[in-house]
Amino acid sequence: MIWKSIKVGFHRLGSPPTFYRFCLLLSPWLWAGFAICTIIGLYYAFYVVPPDYQQSDTVRILYIHVPAAWQAMAGYVVMAILAMIALVWRIRTTEIMAMMCAPIGAAFTLICLATGSIWGRPMWGTWWEWDARLTSMLVLLFIYLGIMGLYAAFEDRRKGARVACILVLVGLVNIPIIHFSVEWWTTLHQGKTIRIFGESSMHYSMMPPLIWMTIAVKLMFGAALLDRSRNELLSQDRRKGWVAKKLLGKGVK
Amino acid sequence: MIPELEYASFVWSSYGIFAVVVAWQILQPVLYRRRLMAELREEQALQSGEYDDPNP
Repeated sequence: MIWKSIKVGFHRLGSPPTFYRFCLLLSPWLWAGFAICTIIGLYYAFYVVPPDYQQSDTVRILYIHVPAAWQAMAGYVVMAILAMIALVWRIRTTEIMAMMCAPIGAAFTLICLATGSIWGRPMWGTWWEWDARLTSMLVLLFIYLGIMGLYAAFEDRRKGARVACILVLVGLVNIPIIHFSVEWWTTLHQGKTIRIFGESSMHYSMMPPLIWMTIAVKLMFGAALLDRSRNELLSQDRRKGWVAKKLLGKGVK
Repeated sequence: MIPELEYASFVWSSYGIFAVVVAWQILQPVLYRRRLMAELREEQALQSGEYDDPNP
């Protein structure tokens, strides 16, 4: 029964007006969740967690660097799943969502690279090192930018989206490379410090801001994705009846 | 109120970058939406003959 409702709900989201309403309803809640989690996360990061015995206060940079890095990769996986669905079932709303993941993912990759570089200067003595983790992360940024460029290069956006979806799936190979780069190669970047299964080498007292900020960036990714998808849908469907109806009626919010 | 940190410039510049990027993620869809709505209203006014040309 529940499964059937989920299935029906999922199929309904394929309809542009329903998807539009869904984005409109859900996005403010995700933004609110993001704001709450960020406030709690920042409070922990600056007022509760002590400085690290070696890194001192620079450890606080990691409370945004690590969640941003995780989200940059998770965002790519989400984009790849959406791209796969879009290519197989040709669902336009999924196609739009896949394409709108790219600028948000690129933003998180940029945060990760910039904050990592700033952290690296006092801790490693260098802003940048061509090590496997850093380089593969930079490649991720270029892949995101490539997807955005490819999508924008086509006048027919659906054709552009289909081509870009193929690039998304090709670029997926970079995700395990980023993840395992610290194991496969000798890198300046430290190895895994946080494990879901097994003991983390990071002290538990430092976990709360990381957890809160991780939830915050995930909610932000969702909210920004819905906002951008809603806009893109409106732009693509500008000549469609449902948009005109909304404009003539109560007005599109 | 503002915590005194070692390596403060590094920490605050990181959080500054984070804040700017987050702000852009919030603002960009709002600004784009505003522009899009203006375009759509103009197109609709043109189609219905209610377009009030600001430069006649």
